[in-house]
Amino acid sequence: MKPRSPSFKKVWGAPVALAVLTCFGLLSALLGTGAWHWASWLSLAIPLATGLGYWLWPRKKA
Amino acid sequence: MSPSHTGDPKLTHYMRFDAHTGEMLYDAPTAREEQFTFMGMMLALHVDLFTGLPGQLFLGFTGLLFVIAIVSGGVLYGPFMKKLDFGTVRKERSRRLKWLDLHNLLGIVLLGWMMVVGITGVINELSRPLFGLWQATDLVELTSGYHDTDPPQRLASADAALRAAAQAVPNHRIISFSHPGNMFATPHHYMVWTRGDTPFTSHLIIPVLVDAATAEVTAVARPPWYLTMLALSQPLHFGDYGGLPLKILWVLLDLLTIVVLASGLYLWFARRKATDARVAQLTQRHQQPQAALAKTTHGHEGSSPGAIAGGGS
Repeated sequence: MKPRSPSFKKVWGAPVALAVLTCFGLLSALLGTGAWHWASWLSLAIPLATGLGYWLWPRKKA
Repeated sequence: MSPSHTGDPKLTHYMRFDAHTGEMLYDAPTAREEQFTFMGMMLALHVDLFTGLPGQLFLGFTGLLFVIAIVSGGVLYGPFMKKLDFGTVRKERSRRLKWLDLHNLLGIVLLGWMMVVGITGVINELSRPLFGLWQATDLVELTSGYHDTDPPQRLASADAALRAAAQAVPNHRIISFSHPGNMFATPHHYMVWTRGDTPFTSHLIIPVLVDAATAEVTAVARPPWYLTMLALSQPLHFGDYGGLPLKILWVLLDLLTIVVLASGLYLWFARRKATDARVAQLTQRHQQPQAALAKTTHGHEGSSPGAIAGGGS
């Protein structure tokens, strides 16, 4: 696998972004309070919404 | 409270008293009775299958398999998605293809969360050996001066013990304390439970041992790194550290994880069925020419294998 090649970015771009977001969300509620909790809820909701969104409303092939 | 120092620790139960009148407000069930409430049973099924340490290690091992399955699934995701856009779900083609796409989509979207919950779950199952290690090493050292002595007959006041502990760790909040001989203390010490005052250190519980006879601090038992790791694994596994919204998110993430697991199981069965069908078809095709040769006079019957092919899905 050639890292940073266009196909690597295409395949792994979204998964890596979602995983980073998940880790941020899990830690922000652990290490902070107040606004950090809101940040946590938001960033954990995004992967969830992504999965459900593509499941329930699949993209039409152009 | 428990009947005696030497009794069964599972007979311990909590009682709540009114601080003004001394009236008893609530007498909680014993630790043994607590095991058989609904939540107690759910916890046992989740933690040790009612079998203590063997069950914990068994479930910890299955947790490890879960983590391995996630990693290998992630490795397969790369080649599988080479020609597909992120989030592709091919709903029209066949049921198996649809669930394969969904399995991949939900699996990769939940990858980070499942890894964290999986790994912290395994760590949690090791809690007993880890605490045992601490007891056998550092704690033995802390209490080594008391090993050959009898527990004190006259105890110093709990209030004096609490004050001494508060002085020893001024930045901590005292959350609870255990009387000498309680299952959470030693026969020679008040055990004062404290925790830090920042969001991070509030997850780390640090006990202070106070001599039961003199009310002097024997030691601040700062836990080693592996217990710090354990203490942080608990909130990250149970998701109970960010209010109700986090708990709701946890439920939803959990439900989608179940979809990933169930679809994986379905795909495994469907794959087996498809393989069996393909094998049957190949054997049939292999036998057909001979049959056709034998029955040349009957003509058209030998032309049917093509109609069966492609029925694999």
